[in-house]
Amino acid sequence: MTKRQAAAFSLVIALSAFSGALLASRAQAQQADRAKQIGGKFMCMCGCNQVLTQCNHVGCTTSASMLKELDGWVARGDSETVITSAFVQEFGTKVYAEPPKSGLSLVAWSLPSVYLLLGTLLVIFVIWRWRMRAMVPSATVGGAPGISAQDLESARRRVAQETED
Amino acid sequence: MDVFGSFALLLAFLCAGYAFVGGIAAILTRHPLLIKSARQAGIATCALIFLATGSLIYLFFSDSYWVSYVVAHSNRDLSTFYKVAALWSGQEGSLLFWSFLLAIYVFSVLLVYRNKNGELMPYVGVVLAGVQIFFLTLNNFVASPFKVLASPGANGALEIFTRADGNGLNPLLQYPEMVIHPPNLYSGYTGFTIPFAFALGALLARYPGEKWIHLTRKWTMIAWCFQTAGILLGAHWAYAVLGWGGYWGWDPVENASLLPWLTGTAFLHSVMMQEKRGMMKVWNVWLVFSTFMLCILGTLLTRSGVVSSVHAFAQSSIGNYFVGFLVLVLAVCFGAYVKNRDYLKSENQLDSMVSRESSFLFNNLILLVSCIAVLSGTLFPVFSEWFSGSRISVGAPFFNKVNIPIGLLLLFLTGVGPLLAWRKTSTESLKRNFGWPLIAGLLAGIVVFALGVREFFSLVCLMLCVFVTTTIGMEFFRGARVIRSRSGASLFASAVELTMRNTRRYGGYIVHMGMVLIFVGLAGAAFNKDVQNDMQPGSTMQIGGYKLLLQGFDTKPEKNYTSERMIVEVWRDNKPLMMLYPERRFFQTNEQSGTMVAIYSTLREDLYVVYAGQNPETQAPVIHAFLNPLVKWIWLGGLVVVLGTLVTLLPNRRAVLVLAGAPERAAGQQPQGLAPSVALREGHD
Repeated sequence: MTKRQAAAFSLVIALSAFSGALLASRAQAQQADRAKQIGGKFMCMCGCNQVLTQCNHVGCTTSASMLKELDGWVARGDSETVITSAFVQEFGTKVYAEPPKSGLSLVAWSLPSVYLLLGTLLVIFVIWRWRMRAMVPSATVGGAPGISAQDLESARRRVAQETED
Repeated sequence: MDVFGSFALLLAFLCAGYAFVGGIAAILTRHPLLIKSARQAGIATCALIFLATGSLIYLFFSDSYWVSYVVAHSNRDLSTFYKVAALWSGQEGSLLFWSFLLAIYVFSVLLVYRNKNGELMPYVGVVLAGVQIFFLTLNNFVASPFKVLASPGANGALEIFTRADGNGLNPLLQYPEMVIHPPNLYSGYTGFTIPFAFALGALLARYPGEKWIHLTRKWTMIAWCFQTAGILLGAHWAYAVLGWGGYWGWDPVENASLLPWLTGTAFLHSVMMQEKRGMMKVWNVWLVFSTFMLCILGTLLTRSGVVSSVHAFAQSSIGNYFVGFLVLVLAVCFGAYVKNRDYLKSENQLDSMVSRESSFLFNNLILLVSCIAVLSGTLFPVFSEWFSGSRISVGAPFFNKVNIPIGLLLLFLTGVGPLLAWRKTSTESLKRNFGWPLIAGLLAGIVVFALGVREFFSLVCLMLCVFVTTTIGMEFFRGARVIRSRSGASLFASAVELTMRNTRRYGGYIVHMGMVLIFVGLAGAAFNKDVQNDMQPGSTMQIGGYKLLLQGFDTKPEKNYTSERMIVEVWRDNKPLMMLYPERRFFQTNEQSGTMVAIYSTLREDLYVVYAGQNPETQAPVIHAFLNPLVKWIWLGGLVVVLGTLVTLLPNRRAVLVLAGAPERAAGQQPQGLAPSVALREGHD
């Protein structure tokens, strides 16, 4: 092997090693990102009520071991479904950081939209009723069923008298 | 002193009982002496609670380690500052503290209205005494803070013994904000008892709705202000102490404090509908009832162990008492409403969909939806366990997904609502009021997008923040311009004058401005970054534009703990910027440890550095650094909200004071245009 060939060979080796290291570090970074993204979907089981990737209790061994497990599964290339099943099997459904969008948990997800929808309908109904009331002759507006306008007025006079500052 | 405290509490219970029974008798007989004696019993109850609380504080300061509560929450080396905080650090003391704060409110109400509202006050007094009886029952018979340490002696009888030292205060509570956060939050919780008592009292006394609203507005504002400050101080404490890089984790106890705040905020808005238009009387009464009940529910969640939380007190059967009380309160409120609901009928009607009234309705809707969504999310784990046998957690990701769109809707209404006129808003007015703010909002969106912000909710949030800021700015500018043209004062002085003339309206705008600042801060959360590395002295870590150089570490014994401190030099643009000292503290007495986060805070971002302990394998210090954009805006916004609330509590300054200073105006000459303008403004809030 000539000097030139040896130099070229060394260069190829060095380049391969460099690209290998680069690829490895990139893969590592990707793995870390994936672990962080998946870890954000679980709770730490130490009882702190924090998301796994955010638990930073001094001396919390639970999050450390959970994260180690997670890193292992991610490094092995396990899918998110597999990782989720593994955590649920180990800790139960309380490991979810957000309820899964299936079964009973679907209720938790749909409730806010239901509240908003029902509330909006209620507000529209109330506005419609108030607008209807605007069209009723004003003489009948003051009194409400069960109490006459005179009674209401006398109660108001009494209050004004009693609460005079 | 423990005997004195116990006796004071027992006597307070008896006095509250008399205030309650005597008050009912006074209502039935209308006998002036009975009315007076019931009120005085109420005042005596408060005075006795003050004495009992003073006794417990004295026991802490005198290191009385024969009192069980003092042993559990204090030690000799604990600083005086934290001995005060120890008062509310446990179940028993915090319940006494609750009674104490409630007593301050009750005492003030009974004193302020001693010669006023003769017919209404006995009802209010009875409701307040009823609430006090409940808490005094807990203080006396369920969770007494004056229990002493005792063990069976040689003859079998119990003998009191004294410990040499106490267990110390929970390290998480040994932080300055913990001395002010709980009092603020509790003052909010207890403060809502006053509007509740007036609302229920007025309903029982068949008072038409407006009067109790008028009487309780300031009390409600005070309670709301404390609640807001308490929530924000709690968030800041979580940020600075817990070391997870965030300020709001949607923990059940955090949620519990938010629930009454949401309904209280809804009430503060819808109350204006009743004042201005005689509308929503039933709604307002139930909002106040709900706010009070949510305060009790929050306490139940914190103390019963129904939901798990790091903030919660030890699990105990005390929750059953709260459930019983809640059911009783609900039954009384419902009964009073059914009996006297005819006095709460609305009188007015709505002229247009595009009006202030509609905006208030939607504002209330959004706040209530948020409240119910947070409540159902908080309780969902419990319900899921009941229905399916397995507990499903509902954590921060769920609450964020649900509440971010709701919050943005609310922010939008914050800008829109105040600019709509009562009854009906014309198209011309809509164009005049919303043209510039819409343009400003859109321009802001383009600029922020060009700066690289692609996160949808943050982008929308920042656009809305600019939109709302412009609407508020225009309101101040228009009003101040009128005053300036008359008085010749500067625009700023005119804006101050304008605010002082209608403190409620313009104070409200300042509160809205504070909320905008808070939303700006929240928008930054989408861009948080963090890096965690093992570090050796001399090694560096890069986060954003900052380089952290670990110079070394030291260990320092303090009076109550030992500190293990990292010495971190922060560099930016290849220049040394400052030193940060994140630390861990080891408390010897209770063998617990806590973090002290080091934060370099600017308006742009927070560099947040945590010493996360040593790597068990390499023994190297682990540094966790966060870069949290715009967090400072949240705390500034909180200050502005509190300032605005204080402004709304000030009485309006008469317009004539400014007119007197107007130059070159003949005596007796009425300034053209100003008086009608002022009258219009004052009737417009």
